[in-house]
Amino acid sequence: MSRFGIKLEPFLAKRLPPAREQTLSHKGIFILPSTFGLVWLLLVALLFLLATNYQNNLILGIALLMSSLFVTCILYSYRNLEGLSLQRLTLPTVYAGSTLPVPVRLSAKRDVHQLSLEFAAMPPCSAAVTPGPTDVLIPVTAPKRGLFNPGRLKVQSSYPLGLMRTWTWVDLDICHPVFASPIEAPLPLVRLDEDKAQHDLGAWIPGVDEYQGLKSYIPGESLKQVAWKQLAQGRGMLSKDFAEPQGAPRWLSLPSDSVSEREHGLSVLSFWVDELSARQQIFGLSLPGLKIAPSLGEAHRIECQIAIACVGAPPELIQRFSARR
Amino acid sequence: MALLQRLKCLVGPAITDEIISRQTLLWLLLVHLALVVPLAEKTTPWALGISAICLVWRAGIFFGKVARPPRLLVTALGLASAITLMLVGREMGVLNALINLLILGYSLKTIEMLGKRDVRAVILAGYFLLSLNLLDNQGIGAMAYAIGVFGLNTLALLSLYRQKAAGSAMFAIKLVAQSLPLALLLFLVLPRLPPLWVVPHLKSSTTGLSDEVGFGDVEKLTRSDALAFRARFDGAVPANANLYWRALVLEDYDGAIWRQSEFIREYEKQAFSLGSSRRPSGEPTDSYEVIAEPSGQRWLFGLDVAYSDAKSVVNLPDQRLLALRPLDGRMQYRLGRYDAPMDLNLPALSRRVNLTLPEDSNPRTLALAKELKQQNPGAEAYLGALMARFNQDAYFYTLTPPPVGRHQIDDFLLDNKRGFCVHYASALTFMARAGGIPARMVTGYQGGEYNRDAGYLSVYQYMAHAWTEVWLEGKGWVRLDPTAQIAPSRILDGFDATFDASEAYLDGNYLSAHRLKGIPWLNELRMRLASIDYYWSLWVLGFDDNRQEQLLKRLLGSVGDTRFIVTVLIAGFALLLLIAWQAGLLKLPTPLPLPIRAFNRVEKALGKRGIARAISEGPRDYLSRAARSLPAISAMLLDFADAFEAARYRGAGPEPADLMRQSRRLVRIIGNQAKVTEPEPTASASHG
Repeated sequence: MSRFGIKLEPFLAKRLPPAREQTLSHKGIFILPSTFGLVWLLLVALLFLLATNYQNNLILGIALLMSSLFVTCILYSYRNLEGLSLQRLTLPTVYAGSTLPVPVRLSAKRDVHQLSLEFAAMPPCSAAVTPGPTDVLIPVTAPKRGLFNPGRLKVQSSYPLGLMRTWTWVDLDICHPVFASPIEAPLPLVRLDEDKAQHDLGAWIPGVDEYQGLKSYIPGESLKQVAWKQLAQGRGMLSKDFAEPQGAPRWLSLPSDSVSEREHGLSVLSFWVDELSARQQIFGLSLPGLKIAPSLGEAHRIECQIAIACVGAPPELIQRFSARR
Repeated sequence: MALLQRLKCLVGPAITDEIISRQTLLWLLLVHLALVVPLAEKTTPWALGISAICLVWRAGIFFGKVARPPRLLVTALGLASAITLMLVGREMGVLNALINLLILGYSLKTIEMLGKRDVRAVILAGYFLLSLNLLDNQGIGAMAYAIGVFGLNTLALLSLYRQKAAGSAMFAIKLVAQSLPLALLLFLVLPRLPPLWVVPHLKSSTTGLSDEVGFGDVEKLTRSDALAFRARFDGAVPANANLYWRALVLEDYDGAIWRQSEFIREYEKQAFSLGSSRRPSGEPTDSYEVIAEPSGQRWLFGLDVAYSDAKSVVNLPDQRLLALRPLDGRMQYRLGRYDAPMDLNLPALSRRVNLTLPEDSNPRTLALAKELKQQNPGAEAYLGALMARFNQDAYFYTLTPPPVGRHQIDDFLLDNKRGFCVHYASALTFMARAGGIPARMVTGYQGGEYNRDAGYLSVYQYMAHAWTEVWLEGKGWVRLDPTAQIAPSRILDGFDATFDASEAYLDGNYLSAHRLKGIPWLNELRMRLASIDYYWSLWVLGFDDNRQEQLLKRLLGSVGDTRFIVTVLIAGFALLLLIAWQAGLLKLPTPLPLPIRAFNRVEKALGKRGIARAISEGPRDYLSRAARSLPAISAMLLDFADAFEAARYRGAGPEPADLMRQSRRLVRIIGNQAKVTEPEPTASASHG
């Protein structure tokens, strides 16, 4: 984005404010000649010299046709992106260090050719759009735990003749919790005193697969969870939500408050949240300034993971994130 | 090859996952074929052979019969071709070598293309090659062909960026077609520059006159009906007898061959730096324009006394015109015709050259000259006697003269008495020099066929002619045409009156369109086609700064700089808008229906009074609520609600214009109402 070392963000923020859904228009489409376009102009200059030195009007005509084609391409390259709508769909969960596939729904009034979509420092992914909506997954690496904003998505095209680089930077208003990457380590289990009285509450009968219900599928989720039967019935892509509570409620909390060990501790917590959820045990989470009551199930797991992800995040980000939920 | 390698670096880094699609390959195959065919005559056989092998190989790859050749083989072939070309490049001419090199590079590159970057390099080379083909083929057909290949090449480029094959061809045509108007505008207004430096020229076979003339030379020209040049006079077309188109002045005679003098040849070599050597005084009596056909030679044609101030023309000291570059393509230049004597003062060098006779040749002619000179001591009387001799003795005009021996002029003048223009001009020049009068041979063309449709003269190769110029004190160089004494009708009425198809001049040329002159409608058709070709030459090939100024003056009135620039900018902008409109980018906003505009106006007025419409509120509910808030005008508001609903949803009720009027009245009245203070739902207003 700052290819020339110029800070574009303030300019872009005003011109292309973040939004979950955006339609490209003249406000945000940038057009510059590509390298090939410059070589093309060089050839035009060469032909012009040839035509002048040989006083040949026909070669001059070809040179002028080439330069005029160059101009026509500016208009058509704009037309290619104009009216393209990008809608960010619900993001799947992601652990730090892994790739977050950002699902985007592309739609346009007409065909959009040779589209390339990329987040900074990621390989571009190409797409072509027909008037109906097209869903694409754009990869971006989530480097570390926290509320993650991958920056602006670069939407680029060289259509029709590769002479122009037409692009825009779209901020899809992403503020996504990246779960701490799980680290297997001894369980930092604490049993809080106040829980003693409720001890029996957590006694669930183990060993029963308790099917909690269906929820709508989030692109990127494991295919194992997909309710194929319902899909076959034409009810759309749904995923099964299982939960099987067992045992006594446990509390997970950070072993120490020291900042140096915090990340490690959070990773361990992340591991145990998943582990206990997989074992279908009831557990609660206690973090500095936040307590999540013991429960179980996928929703609980996610809530706990989000809470872990948000530890230490700037308050305005947390606010922005929670406002959206 | 080296050029292509360089291009490759510029076009950008390889992207490994870029796979060339099948349709791209198909279009490239067609472009390759289309490029090589017209360039074949400029290509050496082995370059053509390699190109053909590459083409077949590429087709083989396309149909899945063969694999890509190993890179080493291609590189080796490329190197070998480049070295061979360097070795033979000198004899074949730099430009021809370049064309061969480009064709080879293009062909070899096509079979080893890997990624899109390679394709782009090949496509750029394709544009260059199709332009090179226009260097010497400048007909309408050649240009149409070039634009066709241009479209095909553009289609190949487009297919790199467009997966959808359907509609690609139409879109490529559309792209090129929509670019044409802007290109045309640029063509009309772009300033024309003179050649910036001397460039190598195409080594093509030369046609037309030769700078060495012997006793058998014009004969081969008389068998050609190819066009030599065309001329258009601003005033009346001179009579046929005055149409002596000078091209070459031959002053050196060695007893067999007439040649240009050493001095002029040297001058021609350095013409680019020396420039014109003369400038006539006074005003031209007539001006005309010549479009010369490609001849591969540099000399141009003009009537005496001709002067041209065109940038690419040099006016030589022997009253001739020379082009700065050999005529690879058609060349157009303007000339003035001056009614002035040629060289009133004869330089000593010129006098000596034009009095020199070869030693030990034609003794009988010399004796005859001596005898005649004694009888007619005055220069003009002597020349008169010579001319009279051709007229009165039994001389015959023939294109198949009997052979002559070592003393050519003796044999012709005294024994055979048969020959064509070169014979007579040689003899006259020789005898004039023998009589002490400076004389020289001039070759060029005589006459011209008038095209009534387009009003120009066509001069064909068979009109080639040779005559004599003698220098007389106080008169300068004066033209004498001894052939006119033998075959006066040739000069007075033109060639076609003198000869018919049975004569020798188009012998062996059975397909010539000139044989069809007897069939009126075919002749008419021939003239029509010639007219189209002529206008093409005049307005496209010959569109130079003069013609540009002429056209702009006609279109814009006066040619003020500001006015010109503004007009060009406006026109260019209009063309861009036109393309944008055709591309579907410009949409005029569709105006809202009148009832809605009326309602919006009322809504806005009510909003100002503090009664904003909730998003979920329909027009009727909203207006009812407003009527409750503003009891003073409730009846009017409800009336308006009825009218609006009738007009908008039932298509009945008042005329839209009446509704508009009603709304305007209502707005005025609402404006006079006090602001409502009751709390309102906080929703933004929008129309219903």
